[in-house]
Amino acid sequence: MEPDDFGLMEGVRTDREGAFERFVERYQRRLYRLAYGYLRNHEDALDAVQEAMVKVFVARRRYRPDSHPFTWASRILANHCIDRLRHRRARPTEPLDPGREDGPVEGRHEGRSPDDPHRDQEGRELRCRVEEAVATLPPRQREVFVLRHFEEQSLQEIAAALGCALGTVKSSLHRAAAAVRDRLLAGAVPAPPSGAEGET
Amino acid sequence: MRRRAARECRRTRASLPLRYYGALGEADARAVERHLSGCLACSAAWESTRRLLGMVRAESAFPREAEVDWPALARRIATRARGAAAARQAGRLAHWPLPLRWAGAAAAAAIVAAVALALLRPAAPGRGEARLVPAGPGDAGTDAAPGGTTPDALRVVQGRLARRRAERDLAAGREVLVNLARPHMACRKSDAAFDIRLEKERSADLLRRMNLYQGTLTGAGDERLAALLAQLEALLMQVASLRDCASARQLHDLHAEIERRRILLRIDLVTREMQGRAPRA
Repeated sequence: MEPDDFGLMEGVRTDREGAFERFVERYQRRLYRLAYGYLRNHEDALDAVQEAMVKVFVARRRYRPDSHPFTWASRILANHCIDRLRHRRARPTEPLDPGREDGPVEGRHEGRSPDDPHRDQEGRELRCRVEEAVATLPPRQREVFVLRHFEEQSLQEIAAALGCALGTVKSSLHRAAAAVRDRLLAGAVPAPPSGAEGET
Repeated sequence: MRRRAARECRRTRASLPLRYYGALGEADARAVERHLSGCLACSAAWESTRRLLGMVRAESAFPREAEVDWPALARRIATRARGAAAARQAGRLAHWPLPLRWAGAAAAAAIVAAVALALLRPAAPGRGEARLVPAGPGDAGTDAAPGGTTPDALRVVQGRLARRRAERDLAAGREVLVNLARPHMACRKSDAAFDIRLEKERSADLLRRMNLYQGTLTGAGDERLAALLAQLEALLMQVASLRDCASARQLHDLHAEIERRRILLRIDLVTREMQGRAPRA
């Protein structure tokens, strides 16, 4: 039987065989999505996950079970990402191959052979807009949105994982989902009826 | 009347994102349901919310996630983490001045030896107590039986095991040093530096392993082996304390140090000697 998150972390802390590997497998994807939200670059996000996991392992004996292991790991990851962004701002670099850069630029997601070029172009634009909409959310809202929308965690689980109140999770989710929706709405998608409140 | 209807529409529309995630309370959910069944504009807004949020898929938000081999990444992370933890341990030791390091190691070895002796030595028989180890012919009342008592035999076995481990680790250490002499891949972060992560990790692993038996290499003829291991340890510590991306200058210094100590040649000689001397168990 798979141990719960706290049981698994206890295994990591006490160097139980295979516990750290299971810990990484359980959290790496979630952490990648959070890191991607911060860094908006695939390679950097993978690097950040690796660095954060290494830090988690090195500091495993300092973990105290008063916070959820994911909260702890995600804080380490967030600090790493923030450092990375600071460093990036201090030393901006040009990508070697702009086509591989992960920023939402035109001409990305190539390498597919479309049957219908217009449809493919629309699909590309949509993917860019979705990516942009999620990436530009404030960090807390993005964390909540990612955990609810992609990981399909319950609000209670998210509250426990992020170490905050259920009400905070609800309001963050509400704001995040509304922002994503409005951002997508502001694109090429046909606008919904407006100014027709109360019309029955 | 109209103002009230407008207020209800606003409230309903504000609830739509939470409704999408099934996060509304029971009463709120019922009220929204009721309103939607009678309001065309809000129903259209609901459809729009549902359609737009439904478009947000993982492959759109994280377009390259599917390219990653996650199980392989997990294994790589675990290896790196263990290497980093060991390197950190070794790095901590490396910051001590050399005499202190030796003093610390000697003190630790002395304590371990004293505790082991105290535990393994048969209790000296008191008056009227029976001896635990039967006296052999020619035993003049000492604890040592001919052919070796249990602690002696244990030491012999420990020494033999330590030599076998040392032989294996000398070969592994040699491989790390030889690898360092080969051309390296440029670091992804900087063309002027070289990626030595693998060598670092292996050095850290070796350092950790060597710590486990070095104190037990105390037999006759083991002095050269112990000295060689100490030299190898010093070099591996240098490797483990470098950054993942080492500069050409750092690698050059390391090569010069390997040359100066002639450690590869000495490892070859000692290994050959051990293979000729040691009985294969």
